[in-house]
Amino acid sequence: MERPPSILLVGLGGAGCSIVARLATRLPPEIGVALIDTDTRSFQQLPGATVVQIGRAQTRGMGTGGEAALGSASAESDETALRRIFTGVPIVVMVTGLGGGTGSGAAAVVAGYAAEVGATVLTFATMPFSHEGERRQRQANEATGVLGLKCHGLVVVHNDLLLQQVATDAPLSESFAAADAWVGGALRALAGAFTPGALVAADPAALRSILANPGSPTLFAFGVGTGEGAAMKAARAASECPLAHGPSSVTKVASLFVHVTGGPTLTTTAAFEAVAAVRTRFGGETSTIVCARVNPDLGDRIEVSVLGASLPAPKSPAKAKKGAKAGDPSQPMFEFATEEAMRRGLFGGTPMTFIDGQDIDVPTYIRKAVRLPASP
Amino acid sequence: MTPKLLPSLIAVIDIGTHKTVSLVGQMINGKARMLGFSERRTDGVVKGTVIDLERLHRCVHEVVNDVERSSGRSIEHVYLSLSGPAAEGERIKGIHAIPAHDGKVTAKDVTDAIASAKRLEPPAGRATLLYMRQPTTIDGRAVANPVGMAGKRLEVHFWRVTMEEGNMRMRVGMVNGMSIKVQDFILASHAAACATASDSDKQGVLVVDMGAGTTDWILYYKEHILCAGSIPVGGEHMTNDLSVALRISRETAEDLKLRFGSAMHREADANQTIWKDGDRGLGDQQFNRGTITQVLSLRYQETFEYVKKDIIQHLEQLFPGHAVKLDQYFLPAGIILTGGSANLADAAEAVHAIMQLPTRIGVPTFENDSLRKPEYAGVVGLMTAAITDSPPPVRRPRGFLASLKDLFRF
Repeated sequence: MERPPSILLVGLGGAGCSIVARLATRLPPEIGVALIDTDTRSFQQLPGATVVQIGRAQTRGMGTGGEAALGSASAESDETALRRIFTGVPIVVMVTGLGGGTGSGAAAVVAGYAAEVGATVLTFATMPFSHEGERRQRQANEATGVLGLKCHGLVVVHNDLLLQQVATDAPLSESFAAADAWVGGALRALAGAFTPGALVAADPAALRSILANPGSPTLFAFGVGTGEGAAMKAARAASECPLAHGPSSVTKVASLFVHVTGGPTLTTTAAFEAVAAVRTRFGGETSTIVCARVNPDLGDRIEVSVLGASLPAPKSPAKAKKGAKAGDPSQPMFEFATEEAMRRGLFGGTPMTFIDGQDIDVPTYIRKAVRLPASP
Repeated sequence: MTPKLLPSLIAVIDIGTHKTVSLVGQMINGKARMLGFSERRTDGVVKGTVIDLERLHRCVHEVVNDVERSSGRSIEHVYLSLSGPAAEGERIKGIHAIPAHDGKVTAKDVTDAIASAKRLEPPAGRATLLYMRQPTTIDGRAVANPVGMAGKRLEVHFWRVTMEEGNMRMRVGMVNGMSIKVQDFILASHAAACATASDSDKQGVLVVDMGAGTTDWILYYKEHILCAGSIPVGGEHMTNDLSVALRISRETAEDLKLRFGSAMHREADANQTIWKDGDRGLGDQQFNRGTITQVLSLRYQETFEYVKKDIIQHLEQLFPGHAVKLDQYFLPAGIILTGGSANLADAAEAVHAIMQLPTRIGVPTFENDSLRKPEYAGVVGLMTAAITDSPPPVRRPRGFLASLKDLFRF
């Protein structure tokens, strides 16, 4: 068997597979791709990729029909096959759509296997739109709680928030496309950092150092700027990125990984200006790893992507390790509970009130995905 | 020995999500005169549901102390309001076949019909709180007083309000703990209507009491309560939406809502920039007014869409097969909007746009100027309803022995 890739991009479930399949053609060769699903149709989107069909006995090659329990049982039944694809891979980036059966059920199990064989796991999980119904929402909320404990980094992409970027009269297909585009952009920016030829290089080990502990709150933001003062514009766009404003996002982190990509005109000053702006917004006091590169295709555009995590007390690694091993759920679970509460604001912690399958304590503008006028 | 009659004292307490208000009045020649009033920020209630009984108990106790001090009377009986999701209404009917010999309805037939209606058990775990009389029919025709009329089948209808038993016990227990007896529960939306709608309005009117935690509605038709309901959304939700959207504290959001909020979003708002504190000092922040009105108007309009949907569902249940339209023929008096959230700018206009019915803000008619505000419709109406619906007991001077007996009663 050939040498395992330094980064393995994994699509899990229907939504995860289609995002990864669309991205795969534009990835550098250092990044391997694998698709995991119960439904064999997902694999047809990317012929020739590493595929793992899970739960053959349970689903017989069909989907899970939205059953999370079936999803997790499927992943458990194919433990050996899953462990095999993760063996020797230092970093696993998993993409999945929560709410359905395979994503919600299998994600935590798959991430657990990957972490157990020694990989650093970063997961991008999309949350369902509010109008997809109460059941999917609940299933997705439950899944993030468990998933957060298994992954080293979890970026939750709230489709509702992304929808605010789309025009109000946009068709449904466009709103789903927007969600895919954001995750795709984020992954491309991340992948680009590890492509050879960077001015200020970073290696996968840097990512591992940032995402050292499972269950720590993760931040991901991504922004693009063009023309005059492009670097600052990109940094500002990144700080307003909807991925960083999800209810489960953290606002300040201890360690940052900043990746700046620009056209041939990118100056060192501009690049570090952007890094400084990002640091004021997101923190990064403990460590900031910078990576900068030139991509001639970008012209006068500058892209800034930020990945960060709060390291729980770096001075006592023994304690952190112990916590990670024992899977002590109390602390991180509490974290997630309060983060979920942020979406509901002052009503956090009170029982949800459902009308027509929607939690009406969540602001109307979020549920209806109305774009608010920009603040001055 | 005939007991000497004293002018009866009426005390009401309205426990809302935002504030708890108490009013003490006296009946003089059939009219209520205010003796004392007190108000406090409610503690321990979220979305109309009690979450911390101890804190609520302390808050109600303080309100009662205040009102006793300001009125100079001690309270023994009290009327409580009942609102929100705890109270649920349904229509029940009692059927009585009129004995065939002459086909005339006697008073006993009516009592029998009423008894048969009241025999219907409330759903498990719920206790009946009150019955509101609806039109009586003979062979399907509505009549004002059936006694003496001829027919075959007599039907009496009631709007029955039930409440969760545990919730009721909790409230009664809380008040009893202050050695005060609960005289009766009154539906909050009915109270608000009593304060703001006249008898001629009640020929056909929708009263919506939009408080901090819940929006209660009640529909009157031909002077009877047709149906009532509640949506668990209120002014707190608007404050919450604003604090989430602008990432500001609850207090700031509340303040901005009152100063710059509106139930209607206009294009021009987006060009307007407002300052949070206005002094442009340290920590002052700029916001786009369009964001504020957009967030608030979406919530306001959505809430009334839920109200409309709820009403139509209730009407379909009451009149299966008939498409009853919410129009001006059905509700000539239109909509009366009251409660604290009726104070939001352009509220009546927004409601008119959604419900397509003339809308006015309901202000309680009361002798005291300071209470002529929509947010006091509930408490003033509680007193009005208490007088008209169930006259308070006549207080008799009690001898020493009677008080002693009271002490040892279990």
